[in-house]
Amino acid sequence: MTIEVAGLSKHFRVHRRPPGLAAAVRSLWRRRYDTVKAVDDVSFTIARGERVGFLGPNGAGKTTTMKVLSGLLHPTAGAVRVEGHQPFRREPDFLRRITLVMGQKQQLLWDLPPSETYALNRAVFGVDPAQARQTIAELTELLGLAGLTDKPTRQLSLGERMKCELAAALLHRPTTLFLDEPTIGLDVAMQVTIRDFIRDYNQRHDATVLLTSHYMDDVVALCPRVIVIDGGRLIHDGDLRALVKTMLPDKLVSFTGGVPAEEVARLGEVVKAEGGRTTVRVPEARLREVVSHVLDRAGADLAVEDPPLEDVMRKLFKDKRAAAPAAPPAEPPP
Amino acid sequence: MRLGYYARLFAVQARASLTTAMQYRADFLVQGLTSLYWLGWNLVPLLVLYDDRATVAGWSFGAALVVMAHFVIVRGILEGAINPSLGAVVEQIRSGAFDYTLLRPADAQFLVSTARFAPWRALDVLGGVGLLIYAFVRLGHAPSPAQLGAGLVLLGAGLAVMYGLWIMIVATAFWVVRMDNLIYLLSSVFDAARWPASVFRGVWKVVFTFVIPLALMTTFPARALLGTVTWQAGIGCLVGALLVSIVARLVWRLALRSYTSASS
Repeated sequence: MTIEVAGLSKHFRVHRRPPGLAAAVRSLWRRRYDTVKAVDDVSFTIARGERVGFLGPNGAGKTTTMKVLSGLLHPTAGAVRVEGHQPFRREPDFLRRITLVMGQKQQLLWDLPPSETYALNRAVFGVDPAQARQTIAELTELLGLAGLTDKPTRQLSLGERMKCELAAALLHRPTTLFLDEPTIGLDVAMQVTIRDFIRDYNQRHDATVLLTSHYMDDVVALCPRVIVIDGGRLIHDGDLRALVKTMLPDKLVSFTGGVPAEEVARLGEVVKAEGGRTTVRVPEARLREVVSHVLDRAGADLAVEDPPLEDVMRKLFKDKRAAAPAAPPAEPPP
Repeated sequence: MRLGYYARLFAVQARASLTTAMQYRADFLVQGLTSLYWLGWNLVPLLVLYDDRATVAGWSFGAALVVMAHFVIVRGILEGAINPSLGAVVEQIRSGAFDYTLLRPADAQFLVSTARFAPWRALDVLGGVGLLIYAFVRLGHAPSPAQLGAGLVLLGAGLAVMYGLWIMIVATAFWVVRMDNLIYLLSSVFDAARWPASVFRGVWKVVFTFVIPLALMTTFPARALLGTVTWQAGIGCLVGALLVSIVARLVWRLALRSYTSASS
């Protein structure tokens, strides 16, 4: 196993104060502290070469978990092993095997071209010059970096910068990738580029990938397995398709024209009807019947899809919270 | 092997700083002019003070000029090699970008201490050396090789003390996050190091010797050059520098352990 997490908890002591100037003045000398359980008794294992989506609402503890796994934070309790090391020891051999990409923070030197950051990382990670050249050539081809790495970082667009960030994070060829929102703020085309690149890197180097993203399309496209946490607690770990099937077993059938309005209502619940295109929700048991009916009337322009992952997540969180009143959502301190 | 590794790392970081400085040519020029301006301005209080007296607290104008020259050199190194990096790390801690430093398999204190240089400050150091030569010309004698050697060793000890103090201040940023004002305060206090330590009396004498050992940074190296330092005092300086360095390292490591990193 590349990643082993057993009973991981991370608690923060945060300073709380009521709003207002008077409270701010009081808090100068008397502070109230609360303990926030950002991660609470979470266990999972990830095998070499797996691509796992790490999902949960804002403040669920995803980033905190990633930081513990990459050695930035000491766990409060529990045992964590990544690549055979205890991350918080930050042993050089461990740091050379992992990388953490944070979509909202950057490591590229702002005033200098990305190539300068690459030179720094090459020296820091002790990458052999020939291997570094080869890796950079490979990354340049896969990410389309040609012409970008010699422009000052501040002159790059967000998407270009993210591609260069990825290259900087992968220069030492890590075998475990922690990707925290690597596609945030990027347009759809750039998201697809990054996604394809991550899959390709995973396959080429048999690298283990743990990914968080607010774009469910990233997760659907990349991760056969998902781990879901909410309020610091693990609420699902398993196959993505199986999760979708148990939570929302219905399929969405959409088609254009051809079916009389009164028949549409009998096919299933109408989810959407615009621009002449109708989408109905159909229980899986009736799928074959509905599809053949629509095919008879509307011809070939028909699509069958799983419900969007967003809906699945929303239902999952609602069900779990209803079942067990969870702790209030936790956020790490600012 | 480790030494070679860190030497390479230092070279890469220094090159990046130099490249950054070169990118802004106008800034480079302005900074150079500012350096020259301050070099001249530093002399004004000294000239005013010695206008109608021959000695102050036993220091002649020439001897006081030697201390002033050390102040200019030490401040050039402070502003050129220590402040830029450590100021940057405080900012990194606040923004959370410090995470990337911790993800690198090298000593974090080394990485942050060498992250940024202000190369034009070398002009300050050169100016200070010029001032030093002028002071000895005025005094009418040159330091012996032994005095020169002792002066260099004590200057090194003084720089180690200053670096240690700055590291401790930056380490506190791990706990309290906003640290700019403390750096500003220490920079202001350091300004007193332009005067020979013996001009200070009473509580200031104690503060500047033991709390913020300014005397170690400028007066003792200057006195070594002038040949007025006892070897016991010299050893005391070295022991003091070693102690400050060890304590600074311990404080840094303790602070790193409590680093919780900013939320993303």
